[in-house]
Amino acid sequence: MNRVVLAVGALVAAPLLIFLALSFRSNPNVIESPLLGTAAPAFELLDLDSGSRRLGDLKGKPVVLNFWASWCVPCVAENAVLADAARRYAGQVGFVGIVYQDDPVRIRMFQAQLGEWGPALMDPAGRTAIAYGVYGVPETFFIDRNGTIVHKITGAVDRASLERVLRDML
Amino acid sequence: MTPLFGQTLLLAALLLCAVGAPVGYMAGAWRSSAGLQWVRRMALGYAALMVMATLLMEYALVTHDFSVSYVASVGSRATPLHITIVSLWSSLEGSILFWGLLLAVFTAGVAILQRRGHEDYLAYTLGTLFAIGIFFGFLLAGPANPFRATLGGIPADGPGPNPLLQNHVLMIIHPPMLYLGYVGMSVPFAMAVAALLRGQLGPTWLLPLRNWLLVPVSFLSLGIMLGGWWSYEVLGWGGYWAWDPVENASFLPWLVGIAALHSAIVQQRRGTLKAWTTILIMIAFLLTILGTFLTRSGVVNSVHAFSLSAIGPLLLGFLTVCIVAVVVLLSLRIDTLASEPNNDALWSREGAFLLNNLLLVTLTFTVLIGTLFPIVAEAVRGVKVSVGEPFFNRMAVPIGFALVLLMGIGPALPWGRADRSTVLRAVLTPIPAGLVGLLLAATAGARSWSVLFTSAIAGYTLWVTFAQVGKPARQRVRRGEPVATAVASSMRRAPRVWGAYLSHLGIIITFVAIAISATLQHSQEGTLRPGGQLTIGEYDLTFEQVDRVQQPHLMSQRARVHVNHRGSYAGVLEPALNFYASRREPLGTPAVMRSVTHDLYLILMNVGGGGSVGLRAIVTPAVGWIWIGVFVLVAGTLVCFVPAGSPVPVRVARIVPSGDEEPAR
Repeated sequence: MNRVVLAVGALVAAPLLIFLALSFRSNPNVIESPLLGTAAPAFELLDLDSGSRRLGDLKGKPVVLNFWASWCVPCVAENAVLADAARRYAGQVGFVGIVYQDDPVRIRMFQAQLGEWGPALMDPAGRTAIAYGVYGVPETFFIDRNGTIVHKITGAVDRASLERVLRDML
Repeated sequence: MTPLFGQTLLLAALLLCAVGAPVGYMAGAWRSSAGLQWVRRMALGYAALMVMATLLMEYALVTHDFSVSYVASVGSRATPLHITIVSLWSSLEGSILFWGLLLAVFTAGVAILQRRGHEDYLAYTLGTLFAIGIFFGFLLAGPANPFRATLGGIPADGPGPNPLLQNHVLMIIHPPMLYLGYVGMSVPFAMAVAALLRGQLGPTWLLPLRNWLLVPVSFLSLGIMLGGWWSYEVLGWGGYWAWDPVENASFLPWLVGIAALHSAIVQQRRGTLKAWTTILIMIAFLLTILGTFLTRSGVVNSVHAFSLSAIGPLLLGFLTVCIVAVVVLLSLRIDTLASEPNNDALWSREGAFLLNNLLLVTLTFTVLIGTLFPIVAEAVRGVKVSVGEPFFNRMAVPIGFALVLLMGIGPALPWGRADRSTVLRAVLTPIPAGLVGLLLAATAGARSWSVLFTSAIAGYTLWVTFAQVGKPARQRVRRGEPVATAVASSMRRAPRVWGAYLSHLGIIITFVAIAISATLQHSQEGTLRPGGQLTIGEYDLTFEQVDRVQQPHLMSQRARVHVNHRGSYAGVLEPALNFYASRREPLGTPAVMRSVTHDLYLILMNVGGGGSVGLRAIVTPAVGWIWIGVFVLVAGTLVCFVPAGSPVPVRVARIVPSGDEEPAR
């Protein structure tokens, strides 16, 4: 009996299998963030056509702020959901995307293929992402009329949660 | 009728596996030759049953027998015949059936090809393959049964297979290659299990083990490359590799398989690393099961992922059983595979092999972490995140450089202990070739450091590769043999050496092509009205018109684009957008114009009002050489299967007896 092999095998295999098993749990997608209830960090960023956009421009309207990237697989999944919501809530809710570690060419490709639901703002050096405490994409922040972050969805947004949050905000 | 018949075949196959596994282990433990004969017969029977079941399914697909549940879920009268045939692996149940078929054929193949001289190991090997067969047989008999009777009335027509499968001919070849690689890994695994149970792994078993390990590694190489090529030709983003979890899942066993092949060489030459080789083979197999789990359970997001299915937990259960079995077996029996003592130096061929293994395992571990991180993050924090390309590229690129450099340094080094000056001479001699590579790249206009660095490494490694492969031939020439005979003899004598270095050559080609294509790609896009022009590099593109093509299962919009290269007509490209009946979003089909040095790649992004189109053109240098390199790699592995023959020296004199040509100068 080689105890070293047994111990190493068990140490590697056990957590692996546990995590894989946990991956079957239903995923609530909605978690708390320390930013909830605080003022949304202001930003002024350039969109793909080099137009300047500020969070302040949307004051008075609830805002859906989505951090995403073209290389991010869940972002592909949620794109249609966001596009659909942006169409239905046009005029009532502002939809803004902030690009996370990606380049404009790929973003344009992504939008051309999967649809565009709002401005995609370039975030050089990821300053805005850091201000919002983003640690992976996609993350979606919901900012109310007064500029307060009232909700956050980590991971791809699904139709039902998005609908529920938007209805609360309006 | 067909559902019943099919289910009977599958149940009989499951029964054979359930009997074959214990009989195999008993025959192995008791060294019973009668038992072995029975196990071999069962292996042939298993293959026969699975072949019949698969043919029956094909018959049902081709005749549109919608009373069979699988046909009702993927068949369609509008689908062309060749697509209908390959829709066997277009969905979950069919792909498991195909999996079972391959496993059965491999099992029978082992029973036939290894029947002589390996009686000690064969029963255990077949027993293990049957044990794996039990699981897939169980899936086919129950949760993933493709032969269920369609419930509630037989439909007149079905939805047709996944549109992605219908989009390109590469999609017909890519999945079976990967399946052959995945399933094929069961054979070296079963052989390694047999070695552990037998308590020895000598040269007589190591050689067939290496051959059977080459099989899945070659198929994985092909499968991975075809997947990349397909992704390049179909997905329309101009790239070929995205570190998608499922791509990674196929890459992981490939990496470990390569590591095992190299450590097996050391074992053969020096008698060391027996336990290590065995462990690597076991890990490679476990990674194929992990890959299957990731692909088929729906726990990761991917273009490949099948919808969330009931077999996910079962696959996890199987993975658990396999891991526990492997860990227990290894800890109980690994000490029986004692290596011969060695006192090899670090700066030796063996040292380089060890470093190669270390790098490959590190890369495997890195990719594994990156692939599983989203799952871990979800388990710990309840979130879905992507690690993304930046992480993988940052980690994999330096290791890739180191591996290719090692491909040069390793073979340059002598086996065993050598004095310092020999080592230094061996390592320093190829440096001018590296400088030549650097100069060539620089004069060709490369300015990016990664291309320059890659070219230098490639020059160095190419030199060593040719020097090593030519060494025996050069010795023969020095002894007075004509060049052609010397080369032919050395090839005959050691096809494995030639094959191995040919594979190295393939890797170098692919590696250089990846570096060039990744750094020197450039693109141009624009919205064009009919007659409008777009210029990219040496190409002038003129958009002519959009054609609508209605086919039974899809509607395509094709843009006709007239291409001029350096002012002269080069052809017409027709990138398309396809709208499938069964899918909401359109799928693009890019159009590619290939040349030796680069590809012109056109994507139709959208079709606007007034017949205008959004076009994107990408010029990617060297991209075609990525696929060529992998073909060379696979050709190399094929050469390894050529049995070594005796050299052909004196025959030359007999071939040209007339004397009007001098046989030797």
